[in-house]
Amino acid sequence: MEAFLGGLAILVDPYVMLMVLLGTVLGIFVGALPGISGSTTIALLLPMTIAMGPVPAICFLGAIYCAANFGGSITAIMVNAPGDPSASATALEGYKMAEKGQAGLALGMSAVSSAIGGIVSVIVLIFAAPMLARAAYSFGPPEYFALALFGLSMCAAIGGDSPIKNLIAAALGLLIATVGMDLTTGVERFSFGIYELSDGIGFVPVLIGLFAVGEMLDQAARRVGKAQIIHLDAARVPGWAEFKKCNRSIWIGSGIGTFIGALPALGATTAALIGYNETRRWSKYKHEFGKGSIEGVAGPEAANNAAVGGSMVPTLALGIPGSATTAIILAALIVQGVRPGPHLFNEQPTLLYAVFASMLAANIFYLVMGLYMAKLFARISLIPPAILWPAVFVLSIIGAYGPNQSMGDVVIMLVAGVVGFLFRRTGFSPAPLIMGLVLGGMVEETLKQSLIIFGDDLTGFLGRPIALALFAVTATGLLWPVLSRLLRVARAARA
Amino acid sequence: MRAARNPNHAIAAAVAAVAAAAFAGTFWFDPVPEGLPGLGAVDFPRLVCVLLFLLAGLLALKQGSRPSEEEAPPLDRGAWLIFGACLVFLPAMEVLGIWGAIPIFLVATGLIWGEVPLRTLVLNAIGLTVALWVVFVRIFQLTLPSGWLGAMLGR
Repeated sequence: MEAFLGGLAILVDPYVMLMVLLGTVLGIFVGALPGISGSTTIALLLPMTIAMGPVPAICFLGAIYCAANFGGSITAIMVNAPGDPSASATALEGYKMAEKGQAGLALGMSAVSSAIGGIVSVIVLIFAAPMLARAAYSFGPPEYFALALFGLSMCAAIGGDSPIKNLIAAALGLLIATVGMDLTTGVERFSFGIYELSDGIGFVPVLIGLFAVGEMLDQAARRVGKAQIIHLDAARVPGWAEFKKCNRSIWIGSGIGTFIGALPALGATTAALIGYNETRRWSKYKHEFGKGSIEGVAGPEAANNAAVGGSMVPTLALGIPGSATTAIILAALIVQGVRPGPHLFNEQPTLLYAVFASMLAANIFYLVMGLYMAKLFARISLIPPAILWPAVFVLSIIGAYGPNQSMGDVVIMLVAGVVGFLFRRTGFSPAPLIMGLVLGGMVEETLKQSLIIFGDDLTGFLGRPIALALFAVTATGLLWPVLSRLLRVARAARA
Repeated sequence: MRAARNPNHAIAAAVAAVAAAAFAGTFWFDPVPEGLPGLGAVDFPRLVCVLLFLLAGLLALKQGSRPSEEEAPPLDRGAWLIFGACLVFLPAMEVLGIWGAIPIFLVATGLIWGEVPLRTLVLNAIGLTVALWVVFVRIFQLTLPSGWLGAMLGR
């Protein structure tokens, strides 16, 4: 409680509050821009946060993360172009509502349900993260190795068009993480005598390249015109009857979003899609779905924002990212010299509670802004791509060069940009690569430490029940498509 | 009639090639003294390369579908010109400095992109360059490349 009050006290600092407010405005702004997601923005702005200090930096990035998910719903409803991938489920019903002249109501419900989902998940985060961290205190290197492998295996389910491609991307991330000096032996790996590579490949240029430059090159290949916006007077606060109708959807979405978000690697997009399906399944008004159902807006919006708090649980308590965006926030923490994990709750509780408090504040900020400024934010989607994307490239160059004043980092960023572009064209998602890159050091380090503990005997893992259970869950998850097919064949043979 | 080629084969071959190159690269690492416990410097990267080989094999066995035009639109002349402009940005930065290269890049790329009149592009380029200079140079105190031109002008 004392730490939480300490966190709130930090939030009273005008500078931190300003950063949260700025992050919220920026989050809604970029969330509303089709193509620029929260993860792209956080990657792009990460270099600027280096000079801020850990608390304002993480509060700023956390606020962007919270608000971008809501911002995505504005263009999903007004333009039928989800500004953020997590708003794709919202577009299904939200745009239909807008066509019926209910854009204001859809935006109002989106703001309210997003804020409820976000606040519920932050409350869960406040209680669950310290409990998970306490449980993780008994973890040694073997358990962390198993946990990191579990996190990587969950990459199979995120984005892209095939689980195998996702796992390939994650493995490539692991391989990139090995570049530079091996800390155990002092041997330089894959640095080819290039000085810039001897310290390893930095997170910042790779993140900016994969997300921002990769997306810019992809947009250059498409070059679609600017969107057409639907007329809107103002967002409308849902009435009691509408709220009562959506009550169940909001709670279903909040529960699903928090749970899915807390699973390593799965983020807001998965949560929103599952939230939409479950809302429809449990709805009393199923016939309205596909024609502009307000429940179809409330459920996925509550889910995608609840996933934000949920995904921060494993990120802060275990150091295992809960989503692609939290992988970038994790990288930002590492760049700031903060290593997330169970010890963080003892060493820097105030920082953590400042993050929780800032996320609560961001949810309240975007609720107010969403209700009163939605019309203004919707106009953001009218910025011509010919102005937007070249500006993104220029910002990427400055962002990659800035932290180390190194042209080597700019070259790495451009190479990562080309990789990101090729990934998008061949059905790969860049998110698993980031997960592999962020977790690579941990996987190798904990495997090495485990083998030293076990005297180079892999069977030592058999004596660690938690690690064994995590391996079993990982194996089941990876083999589930094969197992389910075998089960279906066996069932068919019996029938 | 010839069966349609599986696009996964080309992707799997590229992944396998990367894994093979990385695996070969591990043989150039400096040797580690004998007798150190645990994994050496080469073992983990090799393990990842083997994993990549296996995954590439699995991908090759899986029937893939050619990406639709919406997923991967064909690259037209404009796209190539924008890629070229991105590539030319680095040498332009070396010569003109970042504050010379940015407005030229913004106008040139905007023109290739289309739809926005030249006057708007020029005004946007000037405004954005000034805004970036204020934010990064005046507020964040970053030193950004001034190029030969900047050096000649004595900056």
